[in-house]
Amino acid sequence: MVVHASYHRQMRTTLLLVVLAMACRGQDAAATRADWPHYGGTQFSWRYSALDQINTANVKNLVPAWIFQTGDYAENLQATPIVSGGVMYLITARAQVFALDAASGKVIWQYRSQEARRGRPGTIADNNASRGVAVSGGMVLFGTADNFLVALDQKTGREVWKVSVDDTKQCGCGITAAPLVVKDKVVVGGNGGDSAHRGYLTAFSIKSGRLAWRWYVTPGPGEKGNETWKGDSWKFGGGAPWLTGSYDSDLNLIYWGTGNAASDFFDADRVPGPNHSRDVNLYTASVVALDADTGKLRWYYQEVPDDLWDYDSAYEVLLMDREVRGRMRKILAHMNKSGLTFVLDRQTGEYLGSFNVPEVFNWIAGVTENGTLVGRNEPQVGKQAMFCPSAAGAKSWNSMAYSPRTGFLYVPVNEICENLTANDEKPQEGRGYMNGAFPMALPPNRATYSHIDAWDPVIGKRAWSDPYKYLLLASMLSTAGDLVFTGDPEGNFFALHARTGAKLWNFQTGAGHRGASVSYSVNGRQYIATTTGWQQSVVGGAALGLFPQENWRQGSTLVVFALPGAGK
Amino acid sequence: MKRAVLVLAATGALSAQNLQGVLKRGEEVFSQTCATGYCHTAKGGAGGGAPRLAARGFTQAFIGNTVFRGVPGTAMPAFGMSLPQADLVAVVAYVATLNGIPNPNLPPSGAASAPAAAPLSPEAARGRQLFSDATKGFARCSTCHEVQGIGMPVATGIAKVPADSAALKALATPNVSTAASEGETMPALMVARRAQSVTFYDLSEVPPVLRTVLPAGIQTREGSNWKHSSVIASYSDAELSAILAFLRGAI
Repeated sequence: MVVHASYHRQMRTTLLLVVLAMACRGQDAAATRADWPHYGGTQFSWRYSALDQINTANVKNLVPAWIFQTGDYAENLQATPIVSGGVMYLITARAQVFALDAASGKVIWQYRSQEARRGRPGTIADNNASRGVAVSGGMVLFGTADNFLVALDQKTGREVWKVSVDDTKQCGCGITAAPLVVKDKVVVGGNGGDSAHRGYLTAFSIKSGRLAWRWYVTPGPGEKGNETWKGDSWKFGGGAPWLTGSYDSDLNLIYWGTGNAASDFFDADRVPGPNHSRDVNLYTASVVALDADTGKLRWYYQEVPDDLWDYDSAYEVLLMDREVRGRMRKILAHMNKSGLTFVLDRQTGEYLGSFNVPEVFNWIAGVTENGTLVGRNEPQVGKQAMFCPSAAGAKSWNSMAYSPRTGFLYVPVNEICENLTANDEKPQEGRGYMNGAFPMALPPNRATYSHIDAWDPVIGKRAWSDPYKYLLLASMLSTAGDLVFTGDPEGNFFALHARTGAKLWNFQTGAGHRGASVSYSVNGRQYIATTTGWQQSVVGGAALGLFPQENWRQGSTLVVFALPGAGK
Repeated sequence: MKRAVLVLAATGALSAQNLQGVLKRGEEVFSQTCATGYCHTAKGGAGGGAPRLAARGFTQAFIGNTVFRGVPGTAMPAFGMSLPQADLVAVVAYVATLNGIPNPNLPPSGAASAPAAAPLSPEAARGRQLFSDATKGFARCSTCHEVQGIGMPVATGIAKVPADSAALKALATPNVSTAASEGETMPALMVARRAQSVTFYDLSEVPPVLRTVLPAGIQTREGSNWKHSSVIASYSDAELSAILAFLRGAI
């Protein structure tokens, strides 16, 4: 009996240790340390560094360590730098790639991309922007505005392979997203979901550049989900997954957000029946889980069925393990442009909850307990109406961050509306297919038009909120020093207290922020690096239009901070 | 530059009727190409992703210059080579009217209208669509061939159009060689041999992969077992015939 009980106790202890170890491993694997290996920090996309040399007590002493001017002044610098083994890999708006000594900023090598083939005028493919490279298998991998995926030798910067993912002159699409590296493959999404285009994700061998798989967002004839499209509308149904996904190696699943259905503001040509509320125009405006080896769809959750507001769900997917209603679960948190943020079980796609981040919204009345949108306020052809949030998003493409120490998501939220008039134009392949005019407008009776929020995703509560006069369009960084970093259009780069939102430090970098910041260490010294350079087109341009008296400055400069005398 | 001169030249007034037609076309071009959501808004108003254009006091010459050459360092493209001549004239005139110029200058009639392309036969039109059919994924002609500005110029330009679909499938490809690199053998289309590097397309899969290796890292021999028929299997014989009808008119 004693032996038996002891055996059971031992088993229980072992099991408990295994469970704890697994939970800890999950948490550990999701934080970055010396390196910043992926676009979202790790493949869990938290943008959280476990480094705490810089913390709430000493952040006031932070000073520039080095500055790097890329010389590519194509408006902006948006890329999340990748840091690996003391080397930083940085890409500019026109796909000039640099390897820099991450402690000094000294150039190790540089690669100049050819001038991009022009896309269709007036489509996103003519937009110069790059959100980052991926580094794996001895390669530095990136996409270009004209749809090439390129692999460089990580040591020398020499081009190893290059493959055309699509013809930019035909598709009205390009690549601005950083690729996601998963085992021996590189997966890349494209934009163009507002053109008459069919979105897809494509995976290639990192070593050879050969095609591994392609997954189309809109299913073709004979495939499940094709019945959610009217006639041939799936061919130009959009859904482009234009940002970077996440990966859970334990489940071997890739998670990605898909873009809006096209045309954006007019659905009569794409919706097959009267149902607008569940599984319409699959798999647009959804979070999807794909098998990492084959690209086969495992599950999906459509956040905006029959998306009529350009609220595409293409944004980052944060993977975390949290206790939900008394049970430890593998969950994901995902916001779409509307600001509605979903918490799903990432093994099954089960809906666990949602919360609405913007303060001003009128596109729905609310969400039921099972996640159904109710009180949909849909645009009408030829009638102008104000919709909030705007198609620029309650958040733009710039990422939120998460801290396992506080359990909060850190979200830059914008409060902008639009005066939308929809039309019923027919598609032409690769041409703009938004079907609406939607000048941005400020909501009435407010003095501030954005805020940085801390949200607990599990209970769906806002812990604190810092208002800001203009808009916030740069990604967030959180660290184990209980700090949250981001920048604003006026050029300020600043640190907030992760638990209270109190501003602890500010530095004027000289140009607006439209990119990302990361943390890493070299020889025991922790660094915080941020891109600078405002984008005066697309959402950055719309923001300028709302505040015409301002002159937020373009540029392409990386600024790197550290504590004086820290490290060796 | 000849086209630029045409756009920018102020060569006299036209009949009011012609001007109305040009401005109507200009508004259409503006709506489809400029007011697309990412960029300007309808009628050049504020609130788009690109600056307001109405009531800015722009001269017609400034508008013409900007439209033709673009604005370097911004998202404003140079439309000089991407829009038809008549549309360039029309959109410049339209934006001029948004800036208080009710009767913009237009080039002499005739110069503003490009010669109309001969209409394609229904079969050739179908062939043109099939040539770059996006629903076939990478298994389409335009993955490797560029014709009339559509497609990727992996292969050199098509010089001779095969007589029929059987000839297209049996096409000899003597320029495809066999390369051995990093322990692998693959069908290869050589692009450049330089002292520092060798560049070639690896044709093992579609899409072809442009690879660059050190000269010591590759061995090649003439000929290969690669077959053109292996990459056009997604097309039926009828579809291949339509594509050939398109190519006969295009080349």
